[in-house]
Amino acid sequence: MKQALEGIRVLDLSQWLQGPVCAQYLADFGAEVIHVERPKGGDGARGVRSIKALAIGDWNQYFLVINRNKKSLAVDLKKPEGQELFYELVRKSDVFLSNFQRQNLDAWGLTWEKLRDINPRLIFATNSGYGHAREINRPSYDINVQALTGLMTRQGEPGEPPIYLGMGSGDTYGGLMSALGIMLALHERRRTGRGQFLDASLYGAQLFMAAPTLQPFLASANSLYSEQQARSQAGNPLWNRYQVKDKWVFLCLEDTDENWAALCESFERPELASDVRFDSAAKRTEHNAELVAVLDSILQEQDSEEWIGRCRSSGIPAAPIQNLKDVSGDAQAWENDYLLKVHCGEVNREVDVRGLPITLSKTPGRVESLGPELGQDTELILMDLLEMEWDRISELKEQGVIP
Amino acid sequence: MSGALQDVVVIETTREFYASLAGALLGDFGATVIRVVDISDARTVDHGRDGMHPPERWNSLDELAHRNKQSLAVNLAEPAGREILEKLVAGADVFLTDAPSATLDNEGCDYESLCALKPDIVLTRASGFGPKGPDRDLPAYDELAAARTGVMPTLPQPGQPPVYTGVGQMHTAVMLALGTMIALHHREECGEGQVVDASLFGGNMYSQSLDMQAYLAIRDDRFLEPLSRLDSGNPMSGPMYPSSDGRWVTLAMPDTDKYWPAFAEIMGLDVTDPRFDSHEKRCGESRLEMMQVLDERFRTRPGSHWKQALDEKQLPADVIEKYDYPAADSNAEANRYILNLEHPTHGAVQSLGFPIHMSESPARLRRMAPCVGQHTAEILQERLGYADARIQELEAEGILGAEPLA
Repeated sequence: MKQALEGIRVLDLSQWLQGPVCAQYLADFGAEVIHVERPKGGDGARGVRSIKALAIGDWNQYFLVINRNKKSLAVDLKKPEGQELFYELVRKSDVFLSNFQRQNLDAWGLTWEKLRDINPRLIFATNSGYGHAREINRPSYDINVQALTGLMTRQGEPGEPPIYLGMGSGDTYGGLMSALGIMLALHERRRTGRGQFLDASLYGAQLFMAAPTLQPFLASANSLYSEQQARSQAGNPLWNRYQVKDKWVFLCLEDTDENWAALCESFERPELASDVRFDSAAKRTEHNAELVAVLDSILQEQDSEEWIGRCRSSGIPAAPIQNLKDVSGDAQAWENDYLLKVHCGEVNREVDVRGLPITLSKTPGRVESLGPELGQDTELILMDLLEMEWDRISELKEQGVIP
Repeated sequence: MSGALQDVVVIETTREFYASLAGALLGDFGATVIRVVDISDARTVDHGRDGMHPPERWNSLDELAHRNKQSLAVNLAEPAGREILEKLVAGADVFLTDAPSATLDNEGCDYESLCALKPDIVLTRASGFGPKGPDRDLPAYDELAAARTGVMPTLPQPGQPPVYTGVGQMHTAVMLALGTMIALHHREECGEGQVVDASLFGGNMYSQSLDMQAYLAIRDDRFLEPLSRLDSGNPMSGPMYPSSDGRWVTLAMPDTDKYWPAFAEIMGLDVTDPRFDSHEKRCGESRLEMMQVLDERFRTRPGSHWKQALDEKQLPADVIEKYDYPAADSNAEANRYILNLEHPTHGAVQSLGFPIHMSESPARLRRMAPCVGQHTAEILQERLGYADARIQELEAEGILGAEPLA
């Protein structure tokens, strides 16, 4: 079966997460992605040994999953010969991607101006930390960029610490944005024959990611959007999280009298529907703390299976709040290939990995291999793509340009 | 300066914010995006349904989701209205919708029917739970998808309610746009269209992909529960510390050897303190003690002091801001991440801008979000070649209009 991005070659000079995950999306759909790494140690993510203070286990899922379907070429870009070699690769590629800081690219002679002269069709994509318009040379880790956006401060109950949205949550979003930018540039190139420079920064991506609350805040400056909101102060108590006997559930019911009556019916408390404290949407908002307490006490009586069953049979939208163990066994995730089983060479067995969240009916994504060993494709790429003689390759090895 | 997608026509019948946003992303880069509103269907989406979005002086979420689009309002229950939609599809590249599959079948907007009108159409469907599986037709709210994906219980401090962030749908929005572009690329190469699906379930799963992947690989129950803020593998990377005035500081210095001398100085700690004088001790035997010490130290000074001190040493650490920070940040404006606009009715307003910078075909705000039916006549005339007299006839017959029929 043909893949959508067959024939597109990407030089993935990126490390850690945002850049690699961008290139991963392209590789999943068939682009030829060459992960370019330094000969000593390679991509920093190869060194990950623990996740949340736990040993990473017997295979490095952090690196291997993000860099699946890719080749690895190791080259020392500090050496002029390494830079020349890279220029030769640029001549034969469609996309250059980097999340290194600009001063690194300058030092390696890999500026947009330089690479554009070598290959006018090249798409030069960067993932800066804070945007292309200003020179900001601070390190940009996911969490400290997220801290600037304001997104963390509004999460959770009042008085609790801010909440970081999950390991690499902003990086993966920036990676998606970057992949979209690259596809847009490829479309434009089809018409004009020319590449361009594009940047999808971590800061820009995370500001956009905050849209559901940041956009109304920009419009209204209402602290409702920027400050923590208590569960008991829900503007619509029927659209809220409740603790039942065994876990939590999320109830999502528009606040109409009809829906309130249906809920009371479903929960076998018909008398509540006419309770004067709660007999209109305005009153349900006004007495929200009371109503949340009433629903809390009712819902504590049964487990989630019982409540979700009742909600489904009454047409009330509700879901159990699952944990990662639940989702890892969720048939819906497996049937859609959101989770996949793949052979892992490092441990020589089948492992479970995140799969393919974008479904294309005729040219679906694929996971054919997990991340490559450092430099494993170096010689092959030099021979096949650059048509180098073995003598020249030996020479480069002796010079320490390639391992 | 052209738009990258100036040759792409998108017909859109989305209702939910995230799905409409996918259309806006394409419109931002020059696509012609025509929102078709069915006036025979009086159902509308109320952003305020969650009780978290009270009415504003202007509907900013709709402004973001529908910018750079045209709006055509038509009665799809009538054959003459249906014919208009069919003619639009025949000249389109992409059909973007978040309608349930049963609705698409009923309305003749399933893939086979669309192909009969335009053989190489790309049908992009925003779904709740994906195209397959037992729950593919469940009601699709971001909250319900987020609840299923396992992240909510892990986010807060221990003992606190699970947290809904709302960002999962934002992943889905970009996935829809990206999937559409990949399908268009394939169409240019091979001449065939296809169906693209991205779901709220998938988007939410991938908004926390590292945690999920770590659990899949390690299967340790520690990943299922919240971690206390002072339970980090590295006192200098990940934990948050409160300042004397209730602001919080976050540190991102995984390589502690590199930063320890400067950081110790800021914190008033002895750089040679034998408890903390190596990375191994800081992240090993002295880990908990070091976090206690840092916690006490950070509480002695206000956030502004720490922000200045960390800035001076250029350390990757920050005082955690609120939304007023980006709203006033000149860098956010310089990069067009946040736009200062003159709204025709509301005067000076701020809005989110464009997260992707392109040198040759940048995103542009070509038009503000339209009123329902604002471009109906224009589209019928210019795109479909309808005569004025015919348009007036259709209006008189109730086939066109700006208001939903009661």
